[in-house]
Amino acid sequence: MAHTEWIHALEKVVGADHVISGSEAGTFAVDGKVPQAVVFPSTVEETSSVMAIASEAALKTIPWGAGSQMALGAIPARVDLVVALKHLNHLVDHEWGDMTATVQGGMRLEDFQQALGQHQQYLPLDPPFADQATVGGLLATNASGPRRLFYGTARDLLIAITVVHADGTVTKGGAKVVKNVTGYDMNKLYIGSLGTLGIIAEATFRVYSRIAWEKTWLAPFLTLDHAEEAIAQIMDSSLVPNALELLDKAAARRVTNRASIGWTDGQYALAASVESVAEEAVDTQIEEIGRISRKVGSPGGNLLHDEPHHTFWREVRDITPGTNGTAPRHLRAVLKGGVLISKVADAFRVGEEEAKAQGLDICIVAEAGSGIVRYYVSAEDRSLQQFVEGTVSTVERIRSTCEAQEGSLIILEADAALKTRIDVWGPVKGLKLMQGIKERFDPRQTLNPGRFVGGI
Amino acid sequence: MIQGKTRIVRELEKIVGPNAVIHTEEELRVYECDGATIFRALPDMVVLPATTHQVAEIVKVCHREQIYFVPRGAGTGLSGGALASQGGIIIGLNRMIRILETDVPNQRAVVESGVVNVWLAQKISGDGYYYAPDPASQTACTIGGNVAENAGGVHTPKYGVTTNHVLGLEVVLPNGETVEIGGKVLDPPGYDLVGVFVGSEGTFAIATTVTVRILHKPEAVKTLMGIFHNIEDASNAVSGIVARGIIPACLEMMDKLSIQAVEKWAKAGYPMDAGAVLLVELDGPKAEVEALADLVVEVFQAQRVREVRVAKNDEERELLWKGRKAALAAMGQIRPDCYLQDAVIPRTKLPIILKEIEELSQEYGLPVANVFHAGDGNLHPFILYDGRYEEEIRKAVELGARIMNRCVEMGGSITGEHGVGLEKQDFMPLMYTEDDLEAMMKVKCAFNPDQILNPGKIFPTSKSCVEVGQHKRDRIRYEPHRIEKEGLAQRF
Ligand SMILES: Cc1cc2nc3c(=O)[nH]c(=O)nc-3n(C[C@H](O)[C@H](O)[C@H](O)COP(=O)(O)OP(=O)(O)OC[C@H]3O[C@@H](n4cnc5c(N)ncnc54)[C@H](O)[C@@H]3O)c2cc1C
Repeated sequence: MAHTEWIHALEKVVGADHVISGSEAGTFAVDGKVPQAVVFPSTVEETSSVMAIASEAALKTIPWGAGSQMALGAIPARVDLVVALKHLNHLVDHEWGDMTATVQGGMRLEDFQQALGQHQQYLPLDPPFADQATVGGLLATNASGPRRLFYGTARDLLIAITVVHADGTVTKGGAKVVKNVTGYDMNKLYIGSLGTLGIIAEATFRVYSRIAWEKTWLAPFLTLDHAEEAIAQIMDSSLVPNALELLDKAAARRVTNRASIGWTDGQYALAASVESVAEEAVDTQIEEIGRISRKVGSPGGNLLHDEPHHTFWREVRDITPGTNGTAPRHLRAVLKGGVLISKVADAFRVGEEEAKAQGLDICIVAEAGSGIVRYYVSAEDRSLQQFVEGTVSTVERIRSTCEAQEGSLIILEADAALKTRIDVWGPVKGLKLMQGIKERFDPRQTLNPGRFVGGI
Repeated sequence: MIQGKTRIVRELEKIVGPNAVIHTEEELRVYECDGATIFRALPDMVVLPATTHQVAEIVKVCHREQIYFVPRGAGTGLSGGALASQGGIIIGLNRMIRILETDVPNQRAVVESGVVNVWLAQKISGDGYYYAPDPASQTACTIGGNVAENAGGVHTPKYGVTTNHVLGLEVVLPNGETVEIGGKVLDPPGYDLVGVFVGSEGTFAIATTVTVRILHKPEAVKTLMGIFHNIEDASNAVSGIVARGIIPACLEMMDKLSIQAVEKWAKAGYPMDAGAVLLVELDGPKAEVEALADLVVEVFQAQRVREVRVAKNDEERELLWKGRKAALAAMGQIRPDCYLQDAVIPRTKLPIILKEIEELSQEYGLPVANVFHAGDGNLHPFILYDGRYEEEIRKAVELGARIMNRCVEMGGSITGEHGVGLEKQDFMPLMYTEDDLEAMMKVKCAFNPDQILNPGKIFPTSKSCVEVGQHKRDRIRYEPHRIEKEGLAQRF
């Protein structure tokens, strides 16, 4: 199909005002690659017709939610068409009595939360930049945040899904009930698949009630050893924090500053959030967490509740690279490591050492109880080449440490210049099986070619 | 029949030793059925490997010869998944029973797939830890079988099912290749192969080792029983608990018929004239458990609860659970045979579906007792019949089909934890279109391209059934399974 022909075909499906091309498409570039056109379907049916045209015309196609995570993934092989989902943004249903809700993939998480909030319910997913991200985008990237310690991630919350495949076929998986083993669990396949198997058109979640009481104990630590011991003792107890976050000195300074919490510089911070229907249950746990922290060497601590509690956690989630979040975009990178719970402090140590050796700024935050470590690397006044060199070596060093502990390290966000130098995903177990799945779902490599693991 | 059986027996004996290959009809009978005794099929042979390496070597032989093979754990599955329904070799994992590692600081354990569920719990109990998925069959079923079926248990409202606790697997693919997927660390990059594997009912690969999450025991546990005048009040209490945002560890219900059967059998002290009983278990920090218990009692009272019993110690807690645990055994007093259904509805539909089941029971003239996981909306109607009468078998199966039908119409599912296997494959089109099924088939083919592993399960057998499923849902009826028609298996 010729260029004008497929553009025309798309216009026929969604209306001429829902297709843009030429220079206007520039803001939808992925790793610098500008699409020939951007199409905005408003319904699942339109999305299906769009994909039928895209595969017919052999267009390399990139699904686009809010664009907040487009820096994730390897550089796409080619970009012809962006399918932007911002009009596929409706709440399909909220069965509040059953505590399930269905949304379209292009709905922003924040709008979804607001709708759920009308019945004092919410989806306990708190990924970075939750106010911008779309639900489909969150699922495709398997984004998560501090609350995963208690509530898990998308894989524990998603119960049904509707997907538009590369050739336009629409399928669903799962059911709108909290327990179901009919057929394979297709939900799991699409979570974290970065839009390489299909476009997430609808998603049904198990949702939760808002809990009356929630407070945070913020403990300072002068050394990582002490923080490490506190984490181990809290985890090996019957305490049930819903989040347990370790912040390095830079992150602690930044977050406390932005949340207006009194703080002495040069200390690590361990934050434990506790919730319950009973205030007493929160208080006794907070007390115990405070006691453990002091016992292993924490000098003091802050109790956060109400607004400061919420501000604190929002700032933890939304950290950006650079001391003040001011580093230029191309001199920033965000890395995500997975390690054993007992190796979280080691993962901090290697990050700190290597950044220092490379002369880079670094900020490290970890979901300590889950073994997920985020590194925010940046430089203020370096050449791009210097930054890339330093970051490549940092990635390699941290990656090999994570891998030695059965973990992994991926690059969540980086300039294309860095991505040409190093594999964003690192080595992957079971790659052949993954390639076999991709081949069967998208034999013509229509969706997001080259952005995922092992060249998928 | 396998071509050159003697030759293959000899080759397999070389891999596992002569006492680990079973091939005489008499001994094979043991493997003729699983927990769904309605289906029977004799395998050509059974092999009992003791290591991953042996599993891989056996599978290589099967692959070379293109012989069908089926993994089997304890054979407690309730949907016929572990049957060699099209003949071939059963690979029994009952000698792969080592707990390879318990890593308490990292809250992980690594076990061979033949390890019995409860062994793991016993092993880590002393450290103050437990493994959350606890199917009622936990003293017999294997963790590999749990992975394959994505087994549930009674603690699912709060802790989820097997999939929420399995992080890594070592599997032997149908071509004999050994692959590791996932692991102890969270969020491995790439597709969530572990996630799709759990619940694949032994049709993707043979799991040889399983890495699971283990949990610290809660500070406090409190068990309450509410005795209600009728099933509506009890159902409304379930909705009330869910709507208040209370997440109990367990929330189980028994109806009148079950209470009577159980009381005669187990003498757990349930009033014989009660309309329904709810068992609620709360766990967590002590202060929270107390606060939740007060809320639960409030909800009960709003539904005119007749009596509330609270266990004051372990002994009393055991007593409250005694009746629930004896349910299956107790049913035998009512009718000699029992067809245990497993279907799910959105929880608010409980009062409606229970009423409809009661009506169906009358229409078919068969008693139906309900003992089930109310907190998940996971129904377990025990359809009671007498298997000596062909007519009763037919009615029981049809009644089960009618229940599944209604559950799907209410937005539910045809199985919550027992799986599709042979039992429900022809009902798949009730929930999924041909395209939906094809997407599933693609995943299966990526793992099992020759379909020599566990063939003939999960997917519907006849095209006509798919058509009926799509266009004439209400006319779905049970038909004898193809393997029954062909005489490969028979219902007794
Ligand atoms: C009295 C009773 C109570 C029960 N209660 C519950 C309950 O509360 N909750 C619940 O969910 N289930 C329950 N079940 C069902 C059953 O116990 C579970 O499905 C269990 O997970 C099966 O485990 P198994 O080892 O017996 O597997 P099997 O029956 O041997 O096999 C089941 C399936 O798994 C496959 N399989 C087995 N091992 C492997 C492996 N290593 N790799 C790949 N595939 C494999 C088989 O091919 C088969 O398809 C109950 C059953 C009984 C008889």
